[in-house]
Amino acid sequence: MKTESKIGIFLCECGGKISNRIDLPQVSELLRYEPWEHLGTYPYPCLAPGLEAMRQEVQAKGLNRILVGGCSSRVMKKKFTKALAPVGVEKHQVEMINLKDHVAAVHEATPQELARKAVALIAGGMASLRLLEPYEPVSLPFEGPALILGGGVSGFAAARELARHGLESAVFSKALAPERVLEELHWTFPGCRIFCADLADFLREVFTSPLVKIVPDQPIEYIIGGVGDYHVGLRQPDNTVTEVNGAAIIVALDREFGPADIDYIGGGERVCDLLDLEAQLVAGDIKPGKVVFWVNSPEHGQAAQQLAAVAAWRDSLLMVRENPQVKPMVVYPANITLPLSGADLVEARAHDIGLMSYAPEVHPVVQSGYLSFVSPGDNLEHEVEWDTLVVPGAPGDPAAKAQELLRWLPIYQENGGRLQKSHIKFWPDQVPDESLFFTGSSGGLCDLNEVLQQGKKAARGVLHIREKALQGKLVSPVVVHVDKDLCQGCGLCTEICPCGGIEHVKPGSGPVPREVDSHLCSGGGTCAATCPYEAVKILNNTAQQLEARIKAMMARMQENESLGFVCGWGGLASAEQAAVKGVTYPSGIYLVHVNCLGSLDPFILSMAFLNGVKGIMLAGCTPKHSCHYHYGVDHCWYRVNAMKKLLSLAGLERRRISIGYVEVNEPESFVRMAESHLETLDKLPPLPQDDKTRAKLWAIHATMHRPRVRWVLGTSLRRPAEKEFPGSQFNAVDADETMIEVLKEEFLAARVLKALTDQTLNPPGIARALEEPVKNIAPLLTDMAHEGRISLKGWEGGYPVYALGKK
Amino acid sequence: MITFTINGQEVQGQDGWTILEVARWHGIDIPTLCHYEAVEPYGACRLCVVEVDDGKRSRVVISCMYPIRSGIQVKTDSPRVANVRRWIVQLLLDESPGAPKIQELAKAFRVTPSRFKKEGVEFACHLCGLCIRACQEVVGVQALTFGNRGVLKEVTAPYHQRSTDCIRCGTCLYVCPTGAMEQLFPQVSAP
Repeated sequence: MKTESKIGIFLCECGGKISNRIDLPQVSELLRYEPWEHLGTYPYPCLAPGLEAMRQEVQAKGLNRILVGGCSSRVMKKKFTKALAPVGVEKHQVEMINLKDHVAAVHEATPQELARKAVALIAGGMASLRLLEPYEPVSLPFEGPALILGGGVSGFAAARELARHGLESAVFSKALAPERVLEELHWTFPGCRIFCADLADFLREVFTSPLVKIVPDQPIEYIIGGVGDYHVGLRQPDNTVTEVNGAAIIVALDREFGPADIDYIGGGERVCDLLDLEAQLVAGDIKPGKVVFWVNSPEHGQAAQQLAAVAAWRDSLLMVRENPQVKPMVVYPANITLPLSGADLVEARAHDIGLMSYAPEVHPVVQSGYLSFVSPGDNLEHEVEWDTLVVPGAPGDPAAKAQELLRWLPIYQENGGRLQKSHIKFWPDQVPDESLFFTGSSGGLCDLNEVLQQGKKAARGVLHIREKALQGKLVSPVVVHVDKDLCQGCGLCTEICPCGGIEHVKPGSGPVPREVDSHLCSGGGTCAATCPYEAVKILNNTAQQLEARIKAMMARMQENESLGFVCGWGGLASAEQAAVKGVTYPSGIYLVHVNCLGSLDPFILSMAFLNGVKGIMLAGCTPKHSCHYHYGVDHCWYRVNAMKKLLSLAGLERRRISIGYVEVNEPESFVRMAESHLETLDKLPPLPQDDKTRAKLWAIHATMHRPRVRWVLGTSLRRPAEKEFPGSQFNAVDADETMIEVLKEEFLAARVLKALTDQTLNPPGIARALEEPVKNIAPLLTDMAHEGRISLKGWEGGYPVYALGKK
Repeated sequence: MITFTINGQEVQGQDGWTILEVARWHGIDIPTLCHYEAVEPYGACRLCVVEVDDGKRSRVVISCMYPIRSGIQVKTDSPRVANVRRWIVQLLLDESPGAPKIQELAKAFRVTPSRFKKEGVEFACHLCGLCIRACQEVVGVQALTFGNRGVLKEVTAPYHQRSTDCIRCGTCLYVCPTGAMEQLFPQVSAP
């Protein structure tokens, strides 16, 4: 569906903020021959009278592309799209060029010069809008049960909530009877045995519900499909794989606790950890006497200590209730807040349960029958008497089940061992409803109550999706599209996708084209920029649109001017903040906004140089620390690096392209980056425009389109801290040299292709054209002829003659 | 169409538009601080006061929220408006002496800090709530809110804890009229 584009340009004066700095009548004049349907200058297009005027123009002239030359799209776009929706203009049909913050407020040049810059930016926006292809959102079905994987306790809470709302679910659980769950509870939730009575009722409801199917836990072979239609392959004991289908997936994974290190304490049976103590409680074996719970192990962190303190308190209460002869006491470090309520403290007094804090700076000392510790109240050492000494268990890694699931779902292990769902932070309207639910204590230390709440919340999320599906409103937003004809099924996109948006395929199914689960897709675009075959497209924001935008801008830029790519978070925000703060910088840098630097296709960089840009600066978020798309900026780093290598192979200066990192609230840093980049460029001549350099730039551009180069770039991620490298590369220098080898070879091949354009040549002829020794070229020519990239046209004077194309 | 006058000039507008919107559309400047085009008007700073005469009586109202009505006569720069506005600038200056934009206004209105000036204030926030409204209306999350009440009222993250709802988009920084958000941002944004 391609409609003819009718562009309406609305220029904003912004009460003088723009019109005093940019000569807007001249902007209109310079844009006179561009293909627009409407062009007007307005005092404030964003206020009610302005929006009304825009609506009238849209209706009168049938505009279907709107370009507002005004201020920040981050802040204002929502208002325009909301106001224009009633006249049939969709969100993606509105483009905003930030004349205020990228031109008017930050440069000291004359209004006429700024008008030229404004026109270049607007012409770029128009070129991008012209290539916009409208699309139809796809409605998704929602059939089948909810699949609750992972075997965590929160899964039962989710199943109960779903059953109460009439939705079927299948729980894959290790324990097949309520009693088993209760018996093993302390391995995952120490200190929560006090809730067993309630939990037993709860579990009985789940296990007897006709809507809940409790299925024995089996190893997961694969998870494929997307929201509304998932397929999970389970490996059966007889090694066959059965497939279960479901509409939604809830992952419930708990963390298991391990035995504490009590060897250094000694004391035989009189000293134990919480897990042992609870095992005794299950057996009903409660010894009378003084029980001291010593919350130690600061190495597990304060959260773990707090959890242990609560567990100790709950177990104390349980023991006192069972056997009044037990005298428990909890000794906890003073640097944690005891997470007990006032009512708990009253109960502690009523049951004579001691709560004592110790100064964490001085490690308490265990004696036979006594524990001495320093009280933070009086700095004196005190002693408590014990018959049984209990220390907390060690929080272990997420349940073993996790590893199977991590392979298939966008759930990652953080440094602390904590599992997290891909934590991508976006504007809420950029992402559809949450559709993959992850609950349980492996996502963070928490107790039983909290985990049950998490399960309930996840179930509500699933019910919300079902509700939408029933109303026919479960619409997949279609962010990314994979061209089935171009896709070779290499799976690189699935590997690098941080959000799980590119679906997996069954193991062993060979190279099949990938599908996109648009419900999980975040539109980060690293996949599209990486795809070796350029089969992945970000709709409304394709690389071709960006290419057109840059070509249109370049046509109006001067030879000493530079392009600046800013990511939508750190780069763009800091650039705009510079305008708010009134910091100025030279006007020779033209900012282009991309979602994430990771979505910047390498061929865009080479294309810009081919079109004669003097230099390129890229501003993104600080890697790892604040990249909103996990590794977007790290992927981009390698593309910039490859560009630098290719520039130096072509005999041009590497410093024509530079990348920098900046945070949202650091406008001064952004300005320093821009100034430094422009200063560097000032010392360089404009890009030579002679035929030889142009041929080399053409070859660079062709190199960036080569699947082999793109594959290497896609698998490369800047890993400053990593010690391991893929394949046969052993260190950073090795990895880099492999990259150089590939680039050298492909660059030379591309130059050969360029030399053979419109003519046939023999090897010495090619060598002369490329100014390279014949011996370097001859083997390459044989290879290229073998691959069918060039063909042998005949022999002449003992030399083969080559031409483009196949025989 | 509703017809009325601003400073004697006959202007037209539609139901629901405000005086400020119509005035700006016709190039008549009214100073504002807490008004931002992307969010609904809120009327916090009162700087946009104008005098409205509906034939019966004349009142000073805030133009950013006052819906236009047929036949009213609006004066944006009468002596009465100038007096009220000067007092508002005085109060704003005493509340947030550190804000560059308010200092500029004070200069324009020839106002100097009074004896009620807040002492020892490094901070320029005058609690217009623009950041909070932008967070809610533009971004669509609630990572910012007002905390405490009365003289202790402040802009903060909910429960005084850096919110995980925050996406670090910097919208609050961008819209802040006083620049106070720059100092506040590290304390309220997502970790």
